[in-house]
Amino acid sequence: MEQKMTMALYSGALDKLTAAGVILSGAAADDMEVDIYVLLQAARAFKKEIATNKDKLELAENAHLRDEFLQSLDKLNVMEWHEFFREAKELTNVKIHICGLAGKIWGAEKLDDFIDLADDIVGIGEYITSAQEADVHLFI
Amino acid sequence: MTTEELQALNADKVVDARGTACPGPLLAAKKTIAEISSGQIMEILSADEGTRKDIPKWAAKKGHEYLGTLEESGYFKIFMKKA
Repeated sequence: MEQKMTMALYSGALDKLTAAGVILSGAAADDMEVDIYVLLQAARAFKKEIATNKDKLELAENAHLRDEFLQSLDKLNVMEWHEFFREAKELTNVKIHICGLAGKIWGAEKLDDFIDLADDIVGIGEYITSAQEADVHLFI
Repeated sequence: MTTEELQALNADKVVDARGTACPGPLLAAKKTIAEISSGQIMEILSADEGTRKDIPKWAAKKGHEYLGTLEESGYFKIFMKKA
């Protein structure tokens, strides 16, 4: 039986989103079923006009090393955070749920306001149920 | 397998993932294993130390057979057989 991972993705920072993407890749390689709940800051990062625009996203730590961080990712041929998410969705059963409240905070009420990786807009009850059923549970 | 046996192996599919860092090679291996048949051999080229450890564990979890790793200059050749 495939294992299930539930991720509460709170951060909208470029470095944390990249870490989430790498972890997601590992889960995809393992054929895990993954539920991602996109919470407060992350919901902004998933907005259409923000997701693919690095200039609109900050680093969570060592903000002064941003250029070095981005240059290293580039040199090492590391995918952009949203590309990790897209690839994982192609490889395994990944569902991306946007928190309705978070979306509203950033002026995004409809699923169409987010990049096409987003599957639906949900309430917190679904997250709790998913976390209760998960074999692996992460908060990022 | 011994080094000699690994060197004599003819892989059915070679995945050259030397251009990517972790998790690139693992993702490449995951995609490529779907393209070969049961019993065929996949050879993964990776310059990434983490991948060298990841592939045998991943193969075991997925029921494939890890055959061994050859250390070349600056990269690894990792061999596995699809279940």
